[in-house]
Amino acid sequence: MIPIEYFLALSGILFVIGALGVLTKKNAIVVLMSVEVMLNAANINFVAFSAFYGSLNGAIFALVSIAIAAAEVAVGLAIIMNLYKTRDTISLNKINLLRW
Amino acid sequence: MFDYGAIYPEIILILFAVAIPALHLLLKSSRALAGISLVGVAASAGMVVYYLLNGYPGMIGSENSPLIVFDALAAVFSLVFLSVAFVAILASARYVENDRHLAEYFTLILMATAGMMLVASAQDLLTIYIGIEIASMATYALVAFRKRDKRGSEAAVKYVIIGGLSSALSLYGISLLFGVTGTTSLVGINEALAAQGIDLATILSVGLLIAGFGFKIAIAPFHMWAPDVYEGAPTPVSAFLAAASKKMGLVVMFKVFIVGLIAIKADWDIVVGVVAILTMTIGNVIALSQTNIKRMLAYSSIAQAGYMLMALPLATVVGDFAITAGIFHIITHAFMKSGAFIVVAALAYVAIGESVADYKGLAKRAPFMAFSMAIFMFALAGIPPLSGFMSKVVLLSASVQAAEITQWMLWLGVALVLNSALSLYYYVRVIKYMYVEKGESTAKIKVPVSLTVAIAVCMVATIVLGLFFDPVLDLCSEAARTLFPAMA
Repeated sequence: MIPIEYFLALSGILFVIGALGVLTKKNAIVVLMSVEVMLNAANINFVAFSAFYGSLNGAIFALVSIAIAAAEVAVGLAIIMNLYKTRDTISLNKINLLRW
Repeated sequence: MFDYGAIYPEIILILFAVAIPALHLLLKSSRALAGISLVGVAASAGMVVYYLLNGYPGMIGSENSPLIVFDALAAVFSLVFLSVAFVAILASARYVENDRHLAEYFTLILMATAGMMLVASAQDLLTIYIGIEIASMATYALVAFRKRDKRGSEAAVKYVIIGGLSSALSLYGISLLFGVTGTTSLVGINEALAAQGIDLATILSVGLLIAGFGFKIAIAPFHMWAPDVYEGAPTPVSAFLAAASKKMGLVVMFKVFIVGLIAIKADWDIVVGVVAILTMTIGNVIALSQTNIKRMLAYSSIAQAGYMLMALPLATVVGDFAITAGIFHIITHAFMKSGAFIVVAALAYVAIGESVADYKGLAKRAPFMAFSMAIFMFALAGIPPLSGFMSKVVLLSASVQAAEITQWMLWLGVALVLNSALSLYYYVRVIKYMYVEKGESTAKIKVPVSLTVAIAVCMVATIVLGLFFDPVLDLCSEAARTLFPAMA
């Protein structure tokens, strides 16, 4: 069996990659993808710990969160598409009507 | 045990939410659809009240790891969410009448409310997460409701990205917590943490949870999205977000930190305390310079979230009394903030702008609007005898009580008082514009009845809660005790 540390390292790396993507990328779709990478990092944790403890709780949580993430992407993409229709851009540093 | 009774209030709402798009084919008018949604909200509230009077239903899940328990806390928060939904729908009936996709608008509000109520009765991180996501996804779509509106679409993109980031952070925190304790049940997590103490992974997961839920509540330094979203969203939706969605984040914080993480309270109480002080200060200071009234209200609700968050560190010392104060402030704030937003919505409906300067001379043009706005502003600032004053007094006395045991908690009370004084400036400025300054026009304004009724409901609640608070405070205290099973 693969030791649990390997899974944790993988999920940690994915989480950091996703977080950096959210912070640095300007394209709304790429940012949404980065968020998905972060969510999947959490899913890896759930499945790995589930196997580690021999309980199904984590695996169920992962399944639920995959379903939720799919729905969230659907809403997110629809909203980004609507942004493109009204503003002709999906670049996050070009949307600046609202600021203090 | 598996008693569906625990989610009857949510089921009622969802049945109505699903039926409304179908009914839209028969009924074209927005008023009829709003009426049906109001019936749904009232039916669900009736179910909650029935449980409140006749005892609570059984739980969903097992005794050791309950998933959903409809207890006093769930009942109180369900009623808060339902009343906010009620006034938001009432205010929307005319506000959205010329928009397309009317049915979806009401469906989404009902869905979001159902998600929030699910959070209020959830006892497991799994059900909490599902509830948060149901509510979040519905509100993403609500913010984007005016599809052709440039500011609305921008606000929705910001909201969906920040919301996604917040879910990702809290989900990673949950996964680490599951890894440390081997369970996702809040009670189980607490037992495991009490037995094994704290390690690096726990600290990391608590940090991620504060950040993730912090984005939802818009506490500093995770608050930057809130003013943009509240400004860009349709105004009744802003009211719904500020008065209901934010409270959902707070009930999550209360549940997770008091039920799940109380065993390691020494490691998070000061962090949450500092965040609370930071939040109220930043919210109030930035609100001072705002000229758009929706942005000002947004920063004011950031500051108010700081007051509510105060309850959390205080609860580690004085227990249920602090949470009682927090819940009471949540209730009073729900009415005064949604009332204030709906006044803005009503005035926007009759083509008065959202800038504070547009409110000049309003007292002559729309006496009732100006009077109710003045009441909400005074209540938000905490002027006696309004409800906002009472809830701040209870919070303050909780902090004084806590300071007798843990000295630094007094600073929370000091920050509350100083911030209230500071906030008086921008609340009273609105009143000064309405009553003292002369406007360019003196033409009377006629506001639709449904909006007036919604405002009147909020205003009556704001005044009554400040005068006859005993029964409500008892209810809050009963709700708070459910978080401390040892004392119940």
